[in-house]
Amino acid sequence: MRPPCGVALSLAVLLFAQAGQAQPAERRAVSLPDDLPPGVSQVLWKLSVPADLAPTPERVLLGEKLFNDQRLSVDNTVSCSTCHDARFGFTDAKPVSEGVKGQKVTRNSPTLLNALFNASQFWDGRASTLEDQAKLPILNPREMGMPDEAAVVAKVKAIPEYVRDFQNVFGREVNFDDLAAAIAAFERTLYSGDAKFDRFITGDSRAFTAAERRGWALFNGKARCNTCHAGNVVSPLFSDQKFHNIGIAAHKQDFVKLAREALKVVRTGDAQQIDELALETRFSELGRFLVTKQENDVGAFKTPTLRNIAITGPYMHDGTLTTLWDVMDHYNKGGVPNPYLDGGMQRLGLTEAEIDDVVAFLFTLTDARFAKYAAKEQARQRRLKHKRPERDTAVAMGKSGNLGDLAPNPDLSVKNPADIGVYGTETLVKPASTSRP
Amino acid sequence: MKLLVGTGALLSFVGGAALATGPATPPNAAAAQPPEVKKHELPVSKDGNLVVGLCDGETSMEVKGVKAGQSLTRAQAQHVSGALMEEWLRKNPDAHWDAVPLVAQAPAPGATTPRTQQPRPPAPASSQTVRPGGVTPESGGAEVKKELSAPIQDGHTYGAFSDRDEAIWAASTQQFVDEGHRVFHDAAAIGGTVGISCDMCHPDASNTHPETYPKYQVQLGRVALLRDMINWCIENPVRGRPLADGDPRMRAMEAYIYAKRKGVKLEYGKK
Repeated sequence: MRPPCGVALSLAVLLFAQAGQAQPAERRAVSLPDDLPPGVSQVLWKLSVPADLAPTPERVLLGEKLFNDQRLSVDNTVSCSTCHDARFGFTDAKPVSEGVKGQKVTRNSPTLLNALFNASQFWDGRASTLEDQAKLPILNPREMGMPDEAAVVAKVKAIPEYVRDFQNVFGREVNFDDLAAAIAAFERTLYSGDAKFDRFITGDSRAFTAAERRGWALFNGKARCNTCHAGNVVSPLFSDQKFHNIGIAAHKQDFVKLAREALKVVRTGDAQQIDELALETRFSELGRFLVTKQENDVGAFKTPTLRNIAITGPYMHDGTLTTLWDVMDHYNKGGVPNPYLDGGMQRLGLTEAEIDDVVAFLFTLTDARFAKYAAKEQARQRRLKHKRPERDTAVAMGKSGNLGDLAPNPDLSVKNPADIGVYGTETLVKPASTSRP
Repeated sequence: MKLLVGTGALLSFVGGAALATGPATPPNAAAAQPPEVKKHELPVSKDGNLVVGLCDGETSMEVKGVKAGQSLTRAQAQHVSGALMEEWLRKNPDAHWDAVPLVAQAPAPGATTPRTQQPRPPAPASSQTVRPGGVTPESGGAEVKKELSAPIQDGHTYGAFSDRDEAIWAASTQQFVDEGHRVFHDAAAIGGTVGISCDMCHPDASNTHPETYPKYQVQLGRVALLRDMINWCIENPVRGRPLADGDPRMRAMEAYIYAKRKGVKLEYGKK
């Protein structure tokens, strides 16, 4: 005979509780965070967070403290949050970042929102993990300027609260690897996926205005954004995580000559040397090439996520494009021709109205917690929309130059391509709770 | 009263008996007007009861106690579709009919399909291999790979993909198939009005034979794609409105039906 239901249930609870106690701390932390918003994929979270590096609450707390601590820099003026400021969507809202003593680097600060899902870190992917990434800015002379790892460890060891914290969290003395691990643990909590777009794609078709719907259709069609900024339910980042030369740096470089010179100096696998070349020299513009030394990587930079793009400008690896209209102008004319231009680049032939629609769609990818800032940013960018240095309508429309044929116009009167499940499948199931602690 | 058409199942086998040859249409005329699709006209119940038809376009039955316009419960719908199928098998004793899996083997309604391929956790980026190409002797790029400690993620461009990419693709496909499974097992999700869902005649997507399309389909009086047959089922047994070609539910159901026939030889046009 079967035992009554209640008995079985309490028995199961008891067994579960015992099993839970028996597990080591790190095993318990691997389970999914319970506040994952609808626009964050559980599958991708599991793929991206290694079991032994899952963020435990203790590590996250220590990591957040270190992240905001200017004492990690040589003159106590710069912390990680200087360039990755939560108020600006974990960027610094500047074209290129500034480190100690007001020194500028050559690259734009990428957002940390959803950085835990990146296949590699930095614009050129020179670090493969968040842990590797966290170390380099501390040591870069133009960023936080610490002379070496030993100096960082000595400085942190001289702060009693950190001695105690490291002992509590890692059970040992302060060391550079644990410091990076704590910062990375904090960064693994910076996911974002509670945007207007997520409401739209999970079944609330009224979440979008007509312009936003047209923009989403263009995104997947004529504007060809999804060629590189691919997104679906499993990988909702709108990035292919690959490296492409779209010609941004070709404004100012003879790439071929520069690559030849770089070959004479780049040392294979020397992370620190590559970091310094990337942030301090004109070789920066070679992008991924500095890491791989492969010729087809010249001038290639990582496809950034489009999540929160509204609030993470200025745009491109060097921050040279001010508004999303500028970005659209750049792509509309097919990028800037150069010998290494990505084969997928071609003119788009978007009209002004269509550009407005795509930009309207891009603003829907902002997390709800930044709604106020996004609205301000949208107004600011719209004011700048009449100053368009990248605009070249003749090339975009095929009246000059020779940049190929266009993708067909989506026929919105027959069927809205936005409805056809390009984003994987539109699920009719309502998403889980979006509440945050 | 309106045309009430009914339920059905294995349209492909029913239709196979009459292998009519379609009129030879010149290719440029194909875009013109598709031939009129045949309709199954159902008899009207004297008592105003619901009449459900089978997909063969001939068989039907009256459901006592349920008025036209009312919806069946899932149990009733299952009973009706089963009775209609038995009637069809009685009329067609020689029909080729695949054995329907035992209920115990079929997944429970709402259960997710077993994954044929679990996504593997990706290898660390630095140890990924790359397919050849793009390296010039001059650049010394090949040397980079020899340095095992180098923090290099290889495979950055078209044609070169990492384990992580492949894991994402596999999960994306599975997600699509899972959604199809859900729609296939839910009368409301495909807009059915009488409570009949796809799985009632096609448990576990049996006898759907996606690999035999396109083929001449007798009920339709023309050559059909799988999606045309799905829509016939939706219009007739399920009594819903046909889905647009690009409807996410149609796409998902096609994915589910194909996934169930993985490994079966493609034999388009088969009866």
